[in-house]
Amino acid sequence: MRALTLWNHDLDDACYRARLMASLAGVTLDLRSVDAFPGMEHRGPAMRVLTPMGRLPVLQDGDLVLTQVEPILLHLARTGAKGGAFLPSDGQVHARMEDWLAFHARDMGAASAAREAALFGGDPCVHAPAAREGLRVLEDHMAAQGLRGQGFVAGAAASVADVALFPAFALSRDWNLDHDGFPALRQWARRVRRLTGFVTMPGIPDYH
Amino acid sequence: MSAPAVPPGWTAVALARDIDAGTSAGVVLGGAEIVVWRDTGGRVHAWEDRCPHRGMKLSFGFVRGDRIACLYHGWEYDGTATCRYIPAHPDLAVPASIRVERYRAAEASGLIWVAAEGTGGAPPEVAGLVALRSLFVDAAAGDALARLAAEGFPGLGPVSGVEQGLFLRFTQGGTAFAVACHAVGPGACALHVLVAGAADAALIPATAAFRRAVEGAA
Repeated sequence: MRALTLWNHDLDDACYRARLMASLAGVTLDLRSVDAFPGMEHRGPAMRVLTPMGRLPVLQDGDLVLTQVEPILLHLARTGAKGGAFLPSDGQVHARMEDWLAFHARDMGAASAAREAALFGGDPCVHAPAAREGLRVLEDHMAAQGLRGQGFVAGAAASVADVALFPAFALSRDWNLDHDGFPALRQWARRVRRLTGFVTMPGIPDYH
Repeated sequence: MSAPAVPPGWTAVALARDIDAGTSAGVVLGGAEIVVWRDTGGRVHAWEDRCPHRGMKLSFGFVRGDRIACLYHGWEYDGTATCRYIPAHPDLAVPASIRVERYRAAEASGLIWVAAEGTGGAPPEVAGLVALRSLFVDAAAGDALARLAAEGFPGLGPVSGVEQGLFLRFTQGGTAFAVACHAVGPGACALHVLVAGAADAALIPATAAFRRAVEGAA
């Protein structure tokens, strides 16, 4: 099978989303390491040719270049031999996945920003309240999903939305938000960890 | 400075179903940090959330069989909170003096309850109620309970039959609720909500609306 190229930084949570999706979907990635910290290589002129906004990760599949993480996850799911399982066939479940992917894009960026500030310089407090509010909304949703007997964000099975949202919760301790107040997300995170092909990154312990 | 003490008397700190066998969770009760964990046999334990070795939270650790191991260096503690194994010194007979402070832990009414060592009796068992959810709120326990007793959950109708005790009990829209509360700190608490009959996912938005209402008023 062909390998897709991922411009990657191991400590970047968006890059982890792509590596996790690829592993779950059975896609082989050709990883190109980018010195994002401290080198800021992703903001340099060479990388700007690929990613004008200076954003990681970048996925290249032949002539196709993707620079936004949600479409990258969807493309990996469509490409991988095992990826179809993460794209719900039911129309309503699929729509719910898309709704939560949009929530990820629009509302959970604060979690990445808080983490980046905490780890690489900046004030995490600027982003932490919005990030915490986003995770509380997800906690409410997963508490309801649990009562419906549905273990994942869009339905009974894991979808691309779970892959997108999992790191925001799993890495929250990096910006000093503990998991104590999120019982439904703790249970959900354990389910995600048990998926075949699950991989970790620094900050996510390698056990469950 | 010594750590805040776990109070005598039983306090509900989590839904029983929210801590699976073989997992651990951190709980803060009146500022006291507690690890609540279940061994793989399902027995629940509550200890000070601190490994005596380097002070790491044991709630970050992992459960293996009837022991919990610290994330940092893998020191393993058995059900008596005594260290039994130190991976860096596999042949060492671990001194029995390496222990974690232990609290009482018990299950009743679909909840996990903790109490200071020496607390007698058992937590209350109420019939006919099932766990809905734990709701974490940025408000003092007294303020949250007073508002709940007065107004109930937003949108579910008028409140009647209010009874205050170890549970706050009331009826709203024909549904009976029982809520146990634990203070996390001076301005934060957790409400462990039980409901008569079946736990309906349709009730979750009302609980989230209550959190917003009480936090908006704080």
